[in-house]
Amino acid sequence: MAEKVKLFVNGQEVEVEAGKNLIDAFGAVGIEIPHLCYHPALGADGNCRMCLVGIEDGRPPLVPACKTKVAEGMKVQLDAEKIKKIQRDIMELELINHPIDCPICDQAGECKLQDYYMRYDGKPSRMTVKPVLKAKKMDFGCDVVHDQERCVLCARCVRFTRLVTKTGELGIVNRTDYARVNIFPGRPLNNRYALNVVDLCPVGAMTSRDFRFKQRAWFLTKSPSICQGCSKGCNIFIDHNREKYKDDVIYRFRPRLNEKVNGYFMCDEGRMTYKQENDNRLIAPQVNGREAGFAEAIEAVRRAISGATKTAVLVSPNASLEQIFSIRQFAASINAALSGYSDGYIKAGDGDDFLIQDDKSANRAAFTLLNIDDSKAGFDAAINGADLLINFQNDLGRSLAEDQLASVLANAKLIAISSAATGCTAKSAVAVPVASYSEDSGSLINCDGRLQRYEIAVAKNQPLKSLIEVTNLIGGEIANNQEARAGLQAAVAVLKDIDLEQIPAEGIALTESEVAHVAA
Amino acid sequence: MSGKVKIMERKGKDLYERLYLVEIFKGMAVTFGHFISNFLDNSKLYVRHYPEQKPEITARWRGRHRLTTHEDGTMKCVACFMCQTNCPAKCIMIEAGERVDGRTEKMPVRFDIDLLECIYCGYCVEACPMDAIRMDTGIFAVTGSDRQSFVMGLDALLATPGAFSEEEYKKGGA
Repeated sequence: MAEKVKLFVNGQEVEVEAGKNLIDAFGAVGIEIPHLCYHPALGADGNCRMCLVGIEDGRPPLVPACKTKVAEGMKVQLDAEKIKKIQRDIMELELINHPIDCPICDQAGECKLQDYYMRYDGKPSRMTVKPVLKAKKMDFGCDVVHDQERCVLCARCVRFTRLVTKTGELGIVNRTDYARVNIFPGRPLNNRYALNVVDLCPVGAMTSRDFRFKQRAWFLTKSPSICQGCSKGCNIFIDHNREKYKDDVIYRFRPRLNEKVNGYFMCDEGRMTYKQENDNRLIAPQVNGREAGFAEAIEAVRRAISGATKTAVLVSPNASLEQIFSIRQFAASINAALSGYSDGYIKAGDGDDFLIQDDKSANRAAFTLLNIDDSKAGFDAAINGADLLINFQNDLGRSLAEDQLASVLANAKLIAISSAATGCTAKSAVAVPVASYSEDSGSLINCDGRLQRYEIAVAKNQPLKSLIEVTNLIGGEIANNQEARAGLQAAVAVLKDIDLEQIPAEGIALTESEVAHVAA
Repeated sequence: MSGKVKIMERKGKDLYERLYLVEIFKGMAVTFGHFISNFLDNSKLYVRHYPEQKPEITARWRGRHRLTTHEDGTMKCVACFMCQTNCPAKCIMIEAGERVDGRTEKMPVRFDIDLLECIYCGYCVEACPMDAIRMDTGIFAVTGSDRQSFVMGLDALLATPGAFSEEEYKKGGA
């Protein structure tokens, strides 16, 4: 654990972590100091003056908490009358020209200005002159909508584009009540992390066009999960809601803090992968191109397996560790050749040195761990002479061109076990729908060899069976995640000492030697 | 559990009252008097001729809802979902979209109130920051032949006028 220091807050002794500023150190022990411009990832700017606190040691009467480091024996004043007055006055100042259009503002409910007004101000406005009108609904590019009237000029967005993306599209122009956050003429936001400014903005000045007016923040259930847009495995919140008479629908992904993986941010592309969870899903089982009952489809799969002379099993690099293991055991039990061929998931040159990876699959590192071959040669060998191909979740259309896929399917009957309706499921003899990752739980290993867990977030009205359950029904031995984890611990040396049931929130770094060559 | 027992003195102990029939005939005279007078002229009836004759209701009466409009005919509602959030019966279902009539930015594209689920508590009216939803239509009896006809849509809610003048409504405490 980090070093601790003892200091006094409002006369009471508190022990906090050393080396941090007052906001972070006190925040960790549950003492809140209001702040608008400070963000741990963007550093202290000290422009909002909301975090001013008193320190009784001969310093200037008030100092910004974001720029003050904790020190042993420090006497910090948070509730003195003069500090309360400053907080009240700052709120009044921020609200002079604020349009108070909370009813139509997407940020309402998760807005710092709203929260702080209720907590630290709560006074009616004393302004008698009309507020300054500024531009609203400005298109900043990258689906970011800016409202200058709501802006409190904390410059978080400006600092984000300068410090994090290093693209610097945003700036604050002019002074006093002419000051506006703006883009340079004709140069809109143009980076792959732009939507993070929406999360960073403490007020509703930056909103997402995609999420605009879809839901109010307080209706959303925020479930922690892992993004499966690429092999980075960014930690996310799945914000979903079941409206009356409707199904549970995901409305947005938001980054969730994990210092070891993604920090406070995620990429725009990953953010939009929530749409794949809502749309274009395989819902009804299909047998020979027509809709069938679930039991009928399972029976058709079992018959196909028992009638086949050579079976090939294809597994997706997006499947969880537990799923891949149960499929591997299943393939071994029916003497099928197992392949993880998925070249189409790799977009060479697409990654960057921040979060985005070339490999658009979430769990390819598990292939190495479980000795699953994902080469084209391995797939060709597996499919050669096979008259049955069981495809677990793998979108083969991404890896193979139309004619190649046709030549594969000319000899082999295709069984698709999939959560999404893809070209593959349309061509399959039997298609069995399974739960997608937002409706399932499992473990993933990201590109840096970090083992992470995601839990069930969304509960559909008509829940689909999980992939492991379906594998079990068509003849696999493993019935659930617990059995798979026990099997994994027995079979894989690296996982032997890891309690797969209790993976901490930050994940576990697997030993470098085992997965080093996987890390991109 | 022995409560206080108070023995009441029985009235009508004199012979005249104990004869019983005299009092009965006096009572029946009143009853038949009303019957005959109402039979001959029913305009003096003490009950209301509902539904031909509607009751008078005050501006504070919580009747069926309506959505109000600005003077230029555009709807006041901005789809802030306050009414839906505040509704204890969960009978309001809103879908928001981009505003197209030139005012602000947001408006409902769907605004359904299921009157079968509504408990007419008026919390939606209280919650509304825009005075966009009111229960001043004076409609207190909603009839329909199937369930769907009780779901009031955006157009129906906007089409119903208020039954009171603005002054009367404001005086009612709104």
